[in-house]
Amino acid sequence: MASVSAASVAFRALSKPPLKSNETSRLKIVSLGWRKNGFPSLRSSRLHVSCAAKPETVDKVCEIVRKQLALPAEADLTPESKFSAIGADSLDTVEIVMALEEEFGISVEEESSQNITTVQEAADLIEKLVQKKPEA
Amino acid sequence: MILFRRVVIFTMNSVCFQRNFAAALSPLVPVKLPSRMEAHLWYVVPDEVKSSFLLSNYLDILSPCEKENVSRMRGEQLQKAALLARVLVRTTIARYQINGQVNPRSLKFKKNIHGKPELEWDDDQCQCASRLQFNISHTSSLILCGVTVDSPIGVDLEEKQRKLKNNILAFARRYFTPHEVKFLSSISDPVVQHQHFVKLWTLKESYVKALGRGFSGLPFRMFTIQFRTTENGDSCPSGETNNEGEIIVKSLEDVNSFSSNWQFALLELAGSHYAAICMEKDEAVEGEVPTPMKLTVRKTIPYVRDELISGPDAAVISGLT
Repeated sequence: MASVSAASVAFRALSKPPLKSNETSRLKIVSLGWRKNGFPSLRSSRLHVSCAAKPETVDKVCEIVRKQLALPAEADLTPESKFSAIGADSLDTVEIVMALEEEFGISVEEESSQNITTVQEAADLIEKLVQKKPEA
Repeated sequence: MILFRRVVIFTMNSVCFQRNFAAALSPLVPVKLPSRMEAHLWYVVPDEVKSSFLLSNYLDILSPCEKENVSRMRGEQLQKAALLARVLVRTTIARYQINGQVNPRSLKFKKNIHGKPELEWDDDQCQCASRLQFNISHTSSLILCGVTVDSPIGVDLEEKQRKLKNNILAFARRYFTPHEVKFLSSISDPVVQHQHFVKLWTLKESYVKALGRGFSGLPFRMFTIQFRTTENGDSCPSGETNNEGEIIVKSLEDVNSFSSNWQFALLELAGSHYAAICMEKDEAVEGEVPTPMKLTVRKTIPYVRDELISGPDAAVISGLT
């Protein structure tokens, strides 16, 4: 699935050489989704191919992830949030997958779990598997 | 976010700090390489590393890419753990002084096809360098690095109290083998059942990490971990924390085969964690008894203090008979 991220933000602050003590800092910290009000412009500038997940699916995944990791209410969680960056270890990821399977009535191969590294990736995989399900 | 800002400020001042670095902090104590079938385990307790001076110097050891990864972690505690994990790996390997003095900053890493991190050495560095193997694991409260020579190693750490959101048996039915489900089901005491679940999880993780394949490269239901007591040879649950005998792994892909070239050890570390170690067995020479696995455990705060650990803080539960 192709997706183009129009905004590529790097934490360049740390990769610059150390400043001499008489230089003032011109380092600007730009963060993805760290601020409370979010970055709606960044989200909409990300181009998706039409088979990307519905917002309701993404929201449901976020809810499950929040619950699994016991994230505080003010903690930011965006579709691009990397599970590892929000403190999910392998056991958390496996539990999240299990909760998603139960919620959406799907079965996720273990081999696919390495492709589920963000909320968006989980939601996209869920939609793909849901569509493949035989009609009830 | 708070640590990140502080970290930026320290980077600015690190030029001054560098000069005082050697004076204020102890050098890394060099260590002899582990022998064949020996694993060195080094661990850090993040809560014991409080000095922002120390943390800013630690940050300087990392590569630009590693620094970026640290900065991507959300929140101070996660950033600190990510930083300490990389520092532990770099400083630990540097202690073995492959080819003379090794600066922890100069070490290079690569990943195998499944994503397992490995050391990368220049062509001109001697053969012995490429024989060093390592693996790390961390929880929010402990970071562990295992080192061997020649043998692939996998380590996994989990808090003893780690709670599952799911029911243990439901989880085991989904991800573990029928044999393991049967084993867990047979334990009536929920506390003991929970302990054995965590032990099984860490052992299974250590195995797939030693193989370099990870969870997605080798699904957990494809192999069974068994505790084999020395008397009857059958696996049985035990509520005791003393030696439960041998830990073996059986592949389900080929039911007649034993994955007998892998050896496990299970420890209780710092009173709070289970640590599983998996390494390849020594090839037994015809007629000779194969070398048993030996573990040397050290607790460290790099550049500050190292401590050889034995007794209750590194209590062997199983596997080193």
